[in-house]
Amino acid sequence: MTLEHIFGLTVSGLTVGMIYALIALGYTMVYGVLQLINFAHGEIFTIGGYLATSTLIWIGVDATTPLSLKVAYFGLALLLSIVLTALLGFLIERVAYRPLRQRSRIIALLSAIGVSIFLQNGIVVVFGPQPIIMPTAVVPTGFIEVFGARIRVLQIAIILISLVLMGALTWIVKGTRMGKAMRATSQDREAAEMMGIETNLTISFTFVIGSALAAIGGFLVAMYYGSLQFNTGFLYGLKAFTAAVLGGIGNIPGAVVGSLVLGLAENWGVGLNLGILAWLFVAGLLLGLYFQFVRAPQSRIDHIAEEFRTPAYERAVRDVYRFAPVVAVKTLFAERTDALLHVSAQHAVRLTAANVILAGLAVLFFINGDVQFASKWQHVISFAVLMAILMFRPSGILGENIQEKV
Amino acid sequence: MANPFSRISNALGTLPRWVYVGLALAFAIVFPMLEYFGLMETLWLRLGTRTLVYVLLAVGLNLVLGETGLLHLGYVAFFAVGAYSTAILSSPRFDLQWNFWAILLVATGMAMLFGFVVGVPSLRLRGDYLAIVTLAFGEIMRMTLNNWETLTNGPGGIPGIYPPNIFGWVVDQPAEFYYLLLVFVVIIVALVSNLKNSRIGRAWNALREDEIAAHHSGVRPTQAKMLAVIMSSGIAGLAGAIFAYYQQFINPTYFLFMQSVIVVCMVVLGGMGSIPGAILGAVALDATPEIIRQTFTAWLPRAVGSDFLPGVQAALQTEFDRYRMLIFGLVIVLMVIFRPEGLLPNKLWRREVREEDPRELEHTRQHLFDFEEGKQDLEV
Repeated sequence: MTLEHIFGLTVSGLTVGMIYALIALGYTMVYGVLQLINFAHGEIFTIGGYLATSTLIWIGVDATTPLSLKVAYFGLALLLSIVLTALLGFLIERVAYRPLRQRSRIIALLSAIGVSIFLQNGIVVVFGPQPIIMPTAVVPTGFIEVFGARIRVLQIAIILISLVLMGALTWIVKGTRMGKAMRATSQDREAAEMMGIETNLTISFTFVIGSALAAIGGFLVAMYYGSLQFNTGFLYGLKAFTAAVLGGIGNIPGAVVGSLVLGLAENWGVGLNLGILAWLFVAGLLLGLYFQFVRAPQSRIDHIAEEFRTPAYERAVRDVYRFAPVVAVKTLFAERTDALLHVSAQHAVRLTAANVILAGLAVLFFINGDVQFASKWQHVISFAVLMAILMFRPSGILGENIQEKV
Repeated sequence: MANPFSRISNALGTLPRWVYVGLALAFAIVFPMLEYFGLMETLWLRLGTRTLVYVLLAVGLNLVLGETGLLHLGYVAFFAVGAYSTAILSSPRFDLQWNFWAILLVATGMAMLFGFVVGVPSLRLRGDYLAIVTLAFGEIMRMTLNNWETLTNGPGGIPGIYPPNIFGWVVDQPAEFYYLLLVFVVIIVALVSNLKNSRIGRAWNALREDEIAAHHSGVRPTQAKMLAVIMSSGIAGLAGAIFAYYQQFINPTYFLFMQSVIVVCMVVLGGMGSIPGAILGAVALDATPEIIRQTFTAWLPRAVGSDFLPGVQAALQTEFDRYRMLIFGLVIVLMVIFRPEGLLPNKLWRREVREEDPRELEHTRQHLFDFEEGKQDLEV
């Protein structure tokens, strides 16, 4: 377990995380404007990758093609895939989601699942069930050595391209008129409409942007792993959605943070032995203890109205957190109890449970310090992260972008 | 109403319910006898048995998806829990041969326990989180079954599951399994339809319509949802146990995400919140593809006396599953857009999903008018 090993894992974690982020941004933007989980987004990503790759295969790039021409073909394939995929995203919204906008959310989600199944099997019908292989000639193979670890040029390129795209997206959302319309639509669609914003156009635009980002992500994945299969998008879509929830759904920086955390968690989780991973749990435990004993009681006390604020009451709130679970459970089962105390007690029990679990895991991992998870458990790790985050912080790392609605 | 489909369904709706229940039950009982008297190939009996498993699953999922309005996308994971509990406790793998009833209890109980574990983090949250958590849980379950080789033998699966022995009756013929399943289907359907009209069922429906209003009317949302999830998980576990006995061999490929989606399609197609709908959906989606395939590969060639369009036949033999899923996807989208209440709708749900349909409103108004005039009982 050397330092360059850890560094290499970190770089590949960041690379995968950036790709997740490109997909997760689409999820989170659509969720922001429509409160809909666009289930078909994973398939849009696959189709983007398929279109770009098959264009390159069709042109017939090989090792003899001069570099300048390679770059031109590369750009052409990417452009074609972006345009067609964006069109597909636009059509999906138009055909499958717009007629259902007034109906309940579960109905729209079902429609999204139907579209996803349709597209996935559509790929099989058009391209066949075998994976599509990226022509190796276009993939940069060079690498550089940093701290003794070999970093592929492609990894650096992926990270840089993603950063540029995220910068562009931030500019669109924060700096343009359309971005302003997007933010207004996600806050309150009806009010935005009354202010003269074309919400239908804005929603279509959101789908187009999200699909374009997913198409680029698909192309990058095809370059990074060398091939794509018709069901690749299912797992990537699921992971990217997990990342979006992890960072706080509807929150654009959150999607990026969540994706990076997920990418790192996956790579560290199966690449490092448990003795090192245990330190992450120790860090988590310290954070959890800080929350339980300092931050949470203080924010509860701040909620007490001025006229009820007495030292005894403040102490009662603090005690719930401090002597959990004994006091907290006693409060929960008391005959008549104060609402704030009751909520605090529930919160305290949850926090205590989280801290106990974290401490237990840390001890367990230290004991089995030499063991390493087999790489087949990689996906299980990321879903376990999702379950854990929903259990203890459902609004995600950076918090949800929930607007007050009356 | 102008829609011819509604006119027919309204005309059929005037017959009392027991007529339909009786007809369906009579058909279900007579069905295996056709095979016994040589009127039907064993293939169809096997199909019927599989359909009954799907009926159990659809009725179970309907509790969550239809009655409570929660989208559950990992239903097959609980089915897998039941099936693997059975396979582990009654096969040569660990040299165990537990009693049928004990296994049934363990399989159902384990599935319920897992339902509880999934429900705890997700049910306090908004509805669509449940969809993702259950989906993720389904994937975790499948990967665990694939990877935990000391317990489940990984992708190789568990072969040689012993046939159940029910008070000395060894169930090992397809027809016997069919009847065993039918008994369970009847019990579960009776149980669920009573539950549906009980206080609990009303609470579930209230939550589906408006969670905040239900909460303020004294329904505890988390507890009621938890009950629905746990009960439907139990039904899936039970179905899984019988499925494992019937199949005698299970491996993780029986429990793919697509299976969960197929069960969701059954409930949606039949009509969410309607038990006859769930049964119809299961029968339609499980039997129709097989009937189409048989029509082109066996019946038509036999009738014509020669090979019938060899190209179509070859396509149906090899690529049928692919097109089947393509059509499933299309059917879901078209159903939710054009007929979200399903084929055999539950009246309350129809009113809810088509809130703004003026014809429907007119119909309801007419209904109320008829009621006030004393022409008709008010039915909800």
